[in-house]
Amino acid sequence: MGRRGGGMNTLLLIFCAIALIGGLYAGFARDPYAKLIAIGIIAGGVMPLIIARGYVDVAAALALIIPLSTIFVLQLCKKGAA
Amino acid sequence: MEDSEMSIDGTEDLLGLISGPFSSSYISPPSESAELAALMCGLIALYAVIRIILEQDVMRKLPFLNVFSFAVSGIMALLIPHPLGIIAAATYFIGSTFESNAIASTWAGGVEE
Amino acid sequence: MISSFLQIAFAAICCWVLFITIDMIWALPREGGVVGAKAIAAAVEKTGGDLRGGTMMGNIVSSPDASAGTLLAACGVYCFGIPGGLIATVLVYIGNRICYDPGYAGTTGCFLATFMVYLGTQIGIPAEFFIIGMVIAILTIQGISHRHSSRLLGAIWRIRR
Repeated sequence: MGRRGGGMNTLLLIFCAIALIGGLYAGFARDPYAKLIAIGIIAGGVMPLIIARGYVDVAAALALIIPLSTIFVLQLCKKGAA
Repeated sequence: MEDSEMSIDGTEDLLGLISGPFSSSYISPPSESAELAALMCGLIALYAVIRIILEQDVMRKLPFLNVFSFAVSGIMALLIPHPLGIIAAATYFIGSTFESNAIASTWAGGVEE
Repeated sequence: MISSFLQIAFAAICCWVLFITIDMIWALPREGGVVGAKAIAAAVEKTGGDLRGGTMMGNIVSSPDASAGTLLAACGVYCFGIPGGLIATVLVYIGNRICYDPGYAGTTGCFLATFMVYLGTQIGIPAEFFIIGMVIAILTIQGISHRHSSRLLGAIWRIRR
């Protein structure tokens, strides 16, 4: 009754892979701005997984919270340095 | 034990219990053309992530990140054919654009007054 | 199956023409704008691209423009019909102001795209094909080769001049 189709399963698998690849890249990147971009990739990879469970409002809230926390981290980076 | 189906179908019904929003009748699951579109968006997202990793210059990673945001926003809207889907997709897209804008501005030395 | 891909290709071409036209009308490749767009333009020019094309690509990244407007209009029409597209127009307008962009490229793009996608659904192309079409269109501009696409945008800008 509530089984997901095969297409949905493939999609969720792709996004799990994206979140993992983003996380690995965030760990191994040297440039601080590349790390922040990788955090954005993790966020984008996780969003469809939350939506697929039906938590649309949680996903909308996270879509506001994660970029805001990235901006707070950016305030730690000195202007133009690195 | 209320449903006797559980003992017959086993793990299949267990997966049915943890399925998600489409077991209730509030939202209909996406149609087949929407599934095709979502799958293509997912492949484009994966391609964009690989291009981000392979790119050397930090500032040139940002257009690929923009492509990734487009793809993820599209998928978020495709999976939920309900007005809340637009709100979630638009919020994610604007948040991601704002974040890319902030990264580019800080890299370039901040906003000059 | 083949007809689905043909419909997706047609939707992609429509979205590509619409967003490039509206962005050229609002003069996105003109110099100036946000600091981040200038940094991205300089990085694109370093690889051998065109500076005007790079400025437009930087403006697409930094603020919701007609491309974002078209995507969200397609999402809106898919989820809720024409009222959904108009809700998306309001959200894109708010997003433009949040990103410190004083222009109206995103808002007009979203508004016109709402009607384009609705006309498409009347012809028989479902709205989800416009969503994937817009993603393919932005992939061709920003996701394959920055050098070549910035040169193409620079050439179109020179025609507009």
